Amino acid sequence: MSYYLTTLLVYGGVDVIACLGLSQQFGIAGVTNFAFIIFQAAGAYAAAVLSLPPDSANGAFQTYVGGWQLPFPLPWLGAAVAGGLLALPFSILVGRRLRGDFAAVGLLVTAVMVNLLVTNYRPFLNGDAGLALVPAPLSNHFDPLSTRYQWGYGAVAVLLALLVYLFLRRVTESPWGRTLRAMREDDVVADSLGKNLRSLRTSALVLGGAIAGLSGGVLVGFISLWDPAAWSFAESIVLFAAVIIGGLGNHTGAALGAIVVPLGFLEATRYIPTNFGRPGLVPALQWVAVGVLIVLFLWFRPQGILPERRRRLAGLAEAATPAPAAVPAVALTGRGGSAAAVATGPRPSARSGEVVLEARGLGRSFDGVRAVDGVDVAFAAGQLTGLIGPNGAGKSTLLAMLAGTLPPTEGSIVYRGRDITRLPAYRRARLGIVRTFQLASEFRRLTVLENLLTAIPGQRGDSFTGALLGRRYWGAQEKAAIARAEATLDRFGLAELADLYAGELSGGQRRLVEIMRALMTDPDVLLLDEPMAGVHPLLAHQIGTLLLQLCADGMTIVMVEHELGIMDEFADPVVVMAEGRVLAEGTMASLRSHAEVVEAYLVG
Amino acid sequence: MSVFVSSIAFGLVAASVLAIASVGFTLQFAVTNVLNLAFAAVMTASAFVAYWFNERGVSIWIATLAAAATGVVLSVFLNRAVYGPFRRRRTTPIGIVIVALGMTLIIEFGTQAIAGPTNVSYRMSQGRTLALGSFRLTLAELAIILLSVVLMLAVHVLIRFTRLGKAMRATASNENLARNSGIRTERIVTITWVISGALCGIAGAVFGMDAGTFGATSTDLFLVLILAAVFLGGPGEPYGAMLGALVIGLGTEISAAVFVSDYKDVIAFVVLLAMLAVRPTGLLGART
Amino acid sequence: MPHMDTEFGTRRRRPHVIAAVVALAGAIAAAVVVSAGATAARSAGSLTIADVAPFTGADAALGPTYLVACDAASNAINKAGGVDGSQLSCKSVDTKGDPADAVPAVRQLFATTSNLALVIGLTSDEAAAVVPVINAQKTVAFGMTGQSEFDHIHFPYFYRLVPADLAESYAMVAIAHFKKHYKRVALAFGNDIGSQTFVGPAIASIKKAHMTLAANETLDLHATTFRTEAAKVIASHPDVILTEALGPAEGAFLSEVKQQNGGKMIPVIGTSAAISPDWYKSVAAAVGASTLSQNFLADNLVIDTSGPAYKAFKSAIFAEKGKVGSTGSFATYLTAPGAVHLYDGINLAALAMVAAKSTKPSDYRAYLEKVATGKVVVHTFAAGLAALRKNQTIAYVGPGGPTRFNSYNESNGIFQIDAYTSSGQVKVLGNLPNAWLAAVR
Repeated sequence: MSYYLTTLLVYGGVDVIACLGLSQQFGIAGVTNFAFIIFQAAGAYAAAVLSLPPDSANGAFQTYVGGWQLPFPLPWLGAAVAGGLLALPFSILVGRRLRGDFAAVGLLVTAVMVNLLVTNYRPFLNGDAGLALVPAPLSNHFDPLSTRYQWGYGAVAVLLALLVYLFLRRVTESPWGRTLRAMREDDVVADSLGKNLRSLRTSALVLGGAIAGLSGGVLVGFISLWDPAAWSFAESIVLFAAVIIGGLGNHTGAALGAIVVPLGFLEATRYIPTNFGRPGLVPALQWVAVGVLIVLFLWFRPQGILPERRRRLAGLAEAATPAPAAVPAVALTGRGGSAAAVATGPRPSARSGEVVLEARGLGRSFDGVRAVDGVDVAFAAGQLTGLIGPNGAGKSTLLAMLAGTLPPTEGSIVYRGRDITRLPAYRRARLGIVRTFQLASEFRRLTVLENLLTAIPGQRGDSFTGALLGRRYWGAQEKAAIARAEATLDRFGLAELADLYAGELSGGQRRLVEIMRALMTDPDVLLLDEPMAGVHPLLAHQIGTLLLQLCADGMTIVMVEHELGIMDEFADPVVVMAEGRVLAEGTMASLRSHAEVVEAYLVG
Repeated sequence: MSVFVSSIAFGLVAASVLAIASVGFTLQFAVTNVLNLAFAAVMTASAFVAYWFNERGVSIWIATLAAAATGVVLSVFLNRAVYGPFRRRRTTPIGIVIVALGMTLIIEFGTQAIAGPTNVSYRMSQGRTLALGSFRLTLAELAIILLSVVLMLAVHVLIRFTRLGKAMRATASNENLARNSGIRTERIVTITWVISGALCGIAGAVFGMDAGTFGATSTDLFLVLILAAVFLGGPGEPYGAMLGALVIGLGTEISAAVFVSDYKDVIAFVVLLAMLAVRPTGLLGART
Repeated sequence: MPHMDTEFGTRRRRPHVIAAVVALAGAIAAAVVVSAGATAARSAGSLTIADVAPFTGADAALGPTYLVACDAASNAINKAGGVDGSQLSCKSVDTKGDPADAVPAVRQLFATTSNLALVIGLTSDEAAAVVPVINAQKTVAFGMTGQSEFDHIHFPYFYRLVPADLAESYAMVAIAHFKKHYKRVALAFGNDIGSQTFVGPAIASIKKAHMTLAANETLDLHATTFRTEAAKVIASHPDVILTEALGPAEGAFLSEVKQQNGGKMIPVIGTSAAISPDWYKSVAAAVGASTLSQNFLADNLVIDTSGPAYKAFKSAIFAEKGKVGSTGSFATYLTAPGAVHLYDGINLAALAMVAAKSTKPSDYRAYLEKVATGKVVVHTFAAGLAALRKNQTIAYVGPGGPTRFNSYNESNGIFQIDAYTSSGQVKVLGNLPNAWLAAVR
């Protein structure tokens, strides 16, 4: 009896650890890694070949690499390392800008292929027979089959699960964790705010992979045998089901899911009498039930049993100085050295009128259609340049190329004398070129406050090591950041929305959040794509005034808008585009008298 | 040398089975933008329905019609009752893929629960072997190739020369625009799933004929071959799927002849991963 | 990520969902405790034999085969009064062919079965993981795995009823060389554990017998067609193909060979795994029953096909017909090694229990040897029981012949050569002389 309980403990520990690793990859970072089970397998194999004697032992009936007979805990460390290292080639596949489901399919196929290769290539890991007679940890000091050892193993498994849980909580409840979640919500936007997606995804994969590897090491030490049957692709599906059912984006939920699905559900079905129906009926129905559970949960309760918790951060910043009634615009961007400012690198200043950002012969084709055709345009500091034109004129495309979210097919872009045509979007954001998007692009399942906080550059806690060092390391800076964000919200009268999910706001409010978020990045050049769409005219006016103030402080702003009234009031100069080319440039008044422009666009 | 030549013949058979399946799969993707990973499971269920009729004395070639019907019923069910509602809810493509995997489990193991875990074979005669040097094919294999060619031609005619085909292409390329132009896209989508469902069912029966013996989980690996063919040609491109099936079918068999036969399916995997990494729109898809 | 549109903000805590989860967890815990407790309350006077084997997955045919033997033997024993009045019953434990599943399954078995007297089954899919567990629980186990792990490892409670795969390889080669005088040999084995362990020894012994290895193809058991593999084998012009590829692969491969060889089958020698109803059904359907009968031989451990032991065995097996879903000719169970040797093993164990006057494995284990090597030869449990009551020492000789275990608890059987008739019956063509085996070892 106690043997069975210890088995449940060990398997429970292993399943929880594995699901936590998946939760980190999938639930937090949004990487759908259908090849997840391979990481656990890599860990198990690594632990096995590290603890086995050379393959000539035991009658030489197995062939495998390694065989160094290392003592505990080295095999388990090796397991985690193997899982982490394996993640590196995988990050190439997910690093690409590939559609989510395509990437997932690629990973699924990789899982199947690796299983096939290991099965068929015997000299590597003994093929289909796998590795047997794997020594249990510390087996030369204790009898692995004694009750004491078994309970000890169970306790260690549970303890490890707890440690992994605490570790992940620490790492996830941090600015870095917030950035991962932002990437999960909308990776294009995160990219445009200066987040290095490839490095983030790689870290998430490596972290999750190492944890999965550890779970494999713990399991193989217990059952002393590991072969390809134990890590078929179907096992990945079970773990996904566990994380989805338990709660996506919530590590506690993932742990719960691990206990309910792989441990609870599969173990409980062992109690169904074995002569129920013909042989093979119960296992088949088991799989049907897993499939049904997945579909039902995704339909009725996609957030799982324990949904992702809302992070309430409002008011956490100590009110050292009460916020003044009207915060000067400059404090919103963190410049000006106010006490609430987050330390950032020095922003280059420019004389008003000096050209800061320039497009030279810029062009972009889609399937032979010239969306942007040989555009030469320059934007100067201290100016709010408007960009207008009929639908399909190429305005958004031009903006996207300037920001780096779309590569040009010809021409170049120069920023402060430096050619940045090849620079990826996140690097441009770090230089100070930030954009907003035409369609709603707030991080829906982050709170309004979190939306703003993610954008603040240079946060100490916004790296894996920073997160690891804990609140003591990044806490003070975070408080300052919260204060600054709250001040911004206050400025726009949105302070009471701070802890609401951004997805719950009205259209106009969401636009504002986007603009505020862009401002949090300390931009030098702000590229706004229809920021006033759906915004109340009064509010639009307020925003316009704010933008002018920012220009007065040296910012360069380019704004695409359809509302010509706005252009009249705030933009000078205005650039008109049609059919991918620049038609004219000047003040609105001068443009209204320009014959070509009137014909192409203006209706009086 | 002769092994190489005969492998070309085998490759054509493999390509024929794969083509029917791949075209069905890619049509579903074209009009609904969904990677229906439950496709292989529906093939399996259809193959078993054909087996049920075959066991009771119906010739397998006639029983294939029953397989086609099964394919239609299950595919339309999947689209209307499962993928449709999730898509209307704006579930992300990844979410849909997970749903598809859940449906795969339900359909595949539901079939196994009903039919049992042992493997079955169709009662059919292979017929004489026709040989041209080392190029050998049995009559049954030839029939499979011919059936596949006929179906490909039918699809070609449908897409190119009928109004329905035009409507399908319009819906596939831009659903909103198509609807605004007066096309009843909802109906077109259902019809496309009917046609591709039939292809799926036929593919299942033909797969069973080709494999000789099969079980409920035999098509798991086949799904990967379908994906390889589809992504090689370009997801959503029927002609791409045909091309992809030809390349993958021939490639796997020839590589088995020339290299070691253990790894013949690995070619398909490598092709798929390479396409995803380098050109996800496929050889015949538009470059974005 | 699936968009969770409906679940923002408002703390829609669903207490009933949480409660349901807690209830489920509680139910599981309760089930564990209750069934553990319940076993204590089981009526004294019944014993359980557990069939630990795959019932699903690639080797799904094995578990049911062993179960048939278990039922047959137990029913015969029960008819003779049981073991000291206790009735035997059989329980199946599905390992799914996966060691990570097998270990909890076996542990659950021990937790919930207090009257477990014996374990049978144990194939190469899971044996290496669960035998140490069973041995630690001091329960006697009869296993069907020929894998090399157990050739030189000591597990006092584990008895192997089939020879090492090594030995079977030699037997196959010996048949090819001495019986049929073939010269060119092709190998076509599946890529799974059981099949792959044959290849190395086979190659070595082919060399020793001065035959030529014409081809060595590995059959991927997940694939569904083997045309190119068959073409390669045929192109090497072998006289015979040695093969084992469980599941649908065997039939698919052999039918391809026949087809591409112009409708003519190349002679085939299979392993003892080929002597089973499932195998016969699948391959006969693929290549034709008469072709199979003319071109197929298999090695097998010696099994009686006549005599009192066989008669008793046959009636016991046929008493199960109709009770167990069979997948082919029921008569094939009469020669399936899984059926025959496990039937013998169960009888041995039952007689040992009677002799030891105890049903605890730690007590009766010592008597296993004794009841196989005594004075009075008996062929059934009933006869052995009667003899023991008269205080005689017995030697049980069942349809699998006399049982001799070596120091590693492996049975050193003698091999015989089997073939199929065109109606699917197994025909024994004779025994394999030891000299032949020695020559190719």
